[in-house]
Amino acid sequence: MRRRTHGGGLTAAWLLGMVLALTGCSQQSEDTIVVGLSADITTFEPGMISSRDNDNIAQHIFSSLFSLSPDGDHLPDLAHTMEISDDGTAYVYTLREGLTCHDGEALTAEDAAYTFNRIGDPENRFTGNIPGFVYTSIGFQGAVALDDLRVQVNLARKNPIAFGLLTEVHIHCKDSYEEMTLDEAASNPIGSGPYRLASWTRGSEVVLEKVRDPGSFQRIVWRIIPEASTRTAELIAGNVDIITNVVPEQMDAINASGRAEVQVVSGTRRMYLGFNLSDASRQMPGGDAIQDPRVRRALQYAVDVPTICRQLLSTECDRATGLVNPPNDHPGLTPYPYDPPTAERLLDEAGWPRGEDGTRFAIRFQAGRGRYVNDVNVVLAITQYLEDVGLDVELDLLEWASVYTPLLRERSMGPLFFLGTGGGLWSPIYDMTDLADVDSGTNYTHWDDERWFSRWADLAEAGTPEETRAIVDEMLQVFYDDGPWLHMYFQPDFYGVSNRIEWTARRDERVHLFEARLR
Amino acid sequence: MSRAAVPTEHGARRALRIMVASKWPLLAVAFLFFASVAAAFGPVLSPFDPNRQNLVLRLADPMAVGPDGSLFWLGSDALGRDVLSRLLYGARVSLLVGFAAIAVGGGIGIVAGLLSGYFGGWVDDLIMRVGDIQLAFPFILLAILFLVVLGSGVGNLILVLGVGQWVTYARIVRADTLSLREKEFVEAARALGDSTVSIIFRTILPNILAPLTVIASFNVASVILSEAALSFLGLGVPPSVPTWGSMLAESRDTLVANKWWLAVFPGVAIMLTVLSFNILGDWLRDFLDPRLRERT
Repeated sequence: MRRRTHGGGLTAAWLLGMVLALTGCSQQSEDTIVVGLSADITTFEPGMISSRDNDNIAQHIFSSLFSLSPDGDHLPDLAHTMEISDDGTAYVYTLREGLTCHDGEALTAEDAAYTFNRIGDPENRFTGNIPGFVYTSIGFQGAVALDDLRVQVNLARKNPIAFGLLTEVHIHCKDSYEEMTLDEAASNPIGSGPYRLASWTRGSEVVLEKVRDPGSFQRIVWRIIPEASTRTAELIAGNVDIITNVVPEQMDAINASGRAEVQVVSGTRRMYLGFNLSDASRQMPGGDAIQDPRVRRALQYAVDVPTICRQLLSTECDRATGLVNPPNDHPGLTPYPYDPPTAERLLDEAGWPRGEDGTRFAIRFQAGRGRYVNDVNVVLAITQYLEDVGLDVELDLLEWASVYTPLLRERSMGPLFFLGTGGGLWSPIYDMTDLADVDSGTNYTHWDDERWFSRWADLAEAGTPEETRAIVDEMLQVFYDDGPWLHMYFQPDFYGVSNRIEWTARRDERVHLFEARLR
Repeated sequence: MSRAAVPTEHGARRALRIMVASKWPLLAVAFLFFASVAAAFGPVLSPFDPNRQNLVLRLADPMAVGPDGSLFWLGSDALGRDVLSRLLYGARVSLLVGFAAIAVGGGIGIVAGLLSGYFGGWVDDLIMRVGDIQLAFPFILLAILFLVVLGSGVGNLILVLGVGQWVTYARIVRADTLSLREKEFVEAARALGDSTVSIIFRTILPNILAPLTVIASFNVASVILSEAALSFLGLGVPPSVPTWGSMLAESRDTLVANKWWLAVFPGVAIMLTVLSFNILGDWLRDFLDPRLRERT
């Protein structure tokens, strides 16, 4: 096709820069770094944090016993050693001496044990990532202080990746949290990390102040800027140093501005269409049809994932074959190709031929808007592909924080839904742990295939890496054939970074500012 | 006996003559006629299915030609959908919502105003206080609240926008009814044994239609703007239904990338439609005002 060519991005960036320079541009202080986030945050209660943006801020306020590097290395943090019992169900950490919380209280093993137990206390009814994902996966039994510096975490069963999962627990002190109500704790965190909360204006900004190393900046300002164009404009104007979720169409404008550039990293977030197989979902449009694995398999052929990546995400991507990030995925599986005739044939064979009106069955498709890269357009494109093979799709695009997130907590969206779930590169089992149990908070599909869930015990008992790998591959084959996900892609992440600072984006979506520096 | 006070045949001819002589009202009517034709015959006039995506042809410039020779007069959007086709279909929703919401709001408001003004007493108090309570809430907030509860969709949008307008009509109708119910011709109708319903709807109502026509013409414009605002917020109609407001919303992310046509065309369509209704309303007000007739 013919297209006029012109320096559109450059013109737009120049105009935008000029307007903002004349109206609202301001030079940032040298001891302050400003980050623009796309999604609002809801809490600083360690037991309730569930989104990556929320956790990125919390990781500056709370430290953990150990941490994971971008490459998956297990690094000491508040603790300097970790020992695992022979049966793999007890983890003993030895804390560094002289630790304190932000209020000056000494941080001891008793505080660490209190943190673990408080988050796991059923009376608190926490539903965040730590109780809903970490504790469920490892079978958390409790924590005890062995002495002032040693804390022991007890698990119900051996788990080969428990050491990594435990890095996600944010440590705080006992006395300060015992004095606060749950509501107070949610908005007044008293942490153990290098930064403390200075102020929080809900829906607008969070300001952190440095209390100890590491960290190059005295202040970190996290601004909530939901509108992608506004984030971009603020970056180009110099009012923000880092922005997340840059819309691919705006990359040229940012790069041409001379003030910032876009870092594109191959992310680890698994994007997928989930089939909600619960009994409640069965009563909804399409809920009955997707119970049949043949229907789910047929629909894998209906969506052109590489074209979605190329056109809507401005990047080439290999379609996922499962829920494990490469290179830890099953090497023998090939991505389902885009093949609408095969999809139609399989749907016919599954007993869902086209009716007189050309449709096979209606299905409700729910998705949140504004959470993932170009998510609305991706969802609309998927809808078109599904309609092309005869589905009558009732698309329901929902506001993310207040409408879609509650559905996620209840695992009641769908029957078809669009979601992304954070992953890692340090172990295939970490990525598979979303489905550690039928009732896991992250098993949004209610999938209950015995061929998958019965193998977790085998994984725990596997004696060698080869044995583990064999079991992992068998499980991934089941997931590929009859699983509850329509496989999409691993989301590329787009960060806009000001030329003023030196910072490198990580693949695991963690925005760590400890290493960020002025150029 | 005829009790209507709407313009007579002679008045209609006079209106046409004056409009032809004036420049702006004629242009406004011409544009609204054009928009109505576009809305009515959108499926025939549209070169493409407005929802048909073509990811390979996304963000094509205006006047771009596809590999099969098809011309994108106004370009394509972020999913490769033809902007002209979506604009034509969008006219249907915007005008439908505009007129239907006025019909709903006007219908409720006229009946409420007539009852309030004619009966007075507790009926008047009740209706007017309900109206006061509604006006105490910012309308757009109220609309968002209702649409979140009821769900989006053209029907609900019309209902919400219509209900949002009734108080304006009710107040005007009430004021006129209070005045008219004491007039001799109403007394005469009573003396002749007309029923209350007949007096209200056949004797009083025709005499207050003129100011309502003016209000309605202004109101259509504001309702179209409200529809655009709600669609912009994602609370209007389902994503599969193109509207001018939702087209504007979709253009946000690409505006910085200099894809101007995605915002300019629906924006201009909204602006011209609203402007046309406002000009028409202005002219109608002057035309129907006896004190200004000489000037028109």
